[in-house]
Amino acid sequence: MNIEEEKGIKDTVRRFILSSVAIPKLDDNDDLFESGIVNSLFAVQLMTYIEKTFAIEVAMDDLDIENFKSLNATTAFVLKKNGQRNG
Amino acid sequence: MGDLQSVWPATDGTAVSRCVPVQPALTDRQEARYRDFKAFVALNVEPFAGQWDREQRIPDSVITLLAKSGFLGGTLPPHFDGLGWDVVTFGLLNEALGRGSPALTGVVTVQAMVSMTLLKWGTKEQKEKWLPSLAKGEKIGAFALTEPGAGSDIQSLATGLTPAGDHFILNGTKKWISCAQIASVFLVFAKLGRSPVACLVPRDTPGLSVEPIDDLMGFRGAGLAQIHFKDVEVPSASLIGKPGFALSLVAPVGLHYGRISTACSALGLLRGCFEESIAHAAMRKLGDKTVGDMGMIRSLIARMGTDLEAGNLLCHDACRAQDEHLPEAFEKTLVAKYFSSKAAVRAAADAVQIKGASGCHATSPVSRYYRDAKIMEIIEGTTQIHEDILGKIFVDRAGSFGR
Repeated sequence: MNIEEEKGIKDTVRRFILSSVAIPKLDDNDDLFESGIVNSLFAVQLMTYIEKTFAIEVAMDDLDIENFKSLNATTAFVLKKNGQRNG
Repeated sequence: MGDLQSVWPATDGTAVSRCVPVQPALTDRQEARYRDFKAFVALNVEPFAGQWDREQRIPDSVITLLAKSGFLGGTLPPHFDGLGWDVVTFGLLNEALGRGSPALTGVVTVQAMVSMTLLKWGTKEQKEKWLPSLAKGEKIGAFALTEPGAGSDIQSLATGLTPAGDHFILNGTKKWISCAQIASVFLVFAKLGRSPVACLVPRDTPGLSVEPIDDLMGFRGAGLAQIHFKDVEVPSASLIGKPGFALSLVAPVGLHYGRISTACSALGLLRGCFEESIAHAAMRKLGDKTVGDMGMIRSLIARMGTDLEAGNLLCHDACRAQDEHLPEAFEKTLVAKYFSSKAAVRAAADAVQIKGASGCHATSPVSRYYRDAKIMEIIEGTTQIHEDILGKIFVDRAGSFGR
């Protein structure tokens, strides 16, 4: 796994969330859903942002809270989808 | 208002339509389709919309005509027998239909809500099974979300799905469901334990019954109904998406298209109010003057025309953002729906005022617009819900500065 690529994805998603939600900081393992950082109104925007920014499509099979529960999880999900596309 | 042309005396609808603001930045193909949509509405919708309103029913032949024109599958891709339109074009269809009959637009709205949700979250098998027949209008869908006790507070759904071996059992009631009277399949939102879940239920499933809701103030031809589910068997293969995501990711796709459609339909209604008002103001004599010579009437028309221009831009911007798959499409659509539906209510009230007694009679479309416009402030999220969401978005964004 390319560490720079991983950090780039994580920081990109972090910046988007911090620019949209009124929280002071967001750590890599903060739970996005349980904490209420991502509510039902923001979830679809976050999904669209991830799809658009990383040129992936979130589909039915990807609907697993483990894919989105934190910045680390989201980053791993994007890397996995990119791997599927490139592989 | 760059396209306002001096064509008085206005002698027919064509002359009046030349006096409204042009749609912004359309491609040649979008422009051509918009002309076709308006011609379709002038021929097949406007002359009959009052009758549908009085009879509280849109004839099957009109739905068939919509289907044969491809209007019920415009946004679906060609490989599912849709027309593969961009969302701007979908918005233009809704604008044109909204000028004629917002109730009829409701069929297009709901069909898009169901089919675009399926396109995003359906399995390959579900898409292949349902999307071609939805695109061709052989099946009409309904979006069964609202309940007697769950409208704006959608998290409190009471309709329940319980596991029963290799399938589920659905019990509960949905209310105020547009097109439910004519729908052949329902996209139903329920709770599986504490998890929100969505499923497709065909109308002919045993235990499902439809109870029409008549005598609404507006949208009287939109076929609203209450749907009762009593021990309805739902195969596992009919679940859309996965449990837990129905309200956070599945329903929002449909609601988003519902808001795009409603925003553009409200814009069409607003255009109707404007066209009726300027024609009346120019033609109706008051002694040796016209109604339009009165400053107070000009004031009402100025606001209406300005709202129309602004609404055009907001709706176009929202549709274009969706075409570009931008995350801000969600917010732009909320803004467009909020503005257009409120502006439509203002314009309809002012159009009745401008036309006076004649505007209060059923023979004038503005009396119907007055009733229909109010519905647009309620469906797909009330004005107050929009204010709550948008206010939070704006404040949160301001709160993010300085970090």
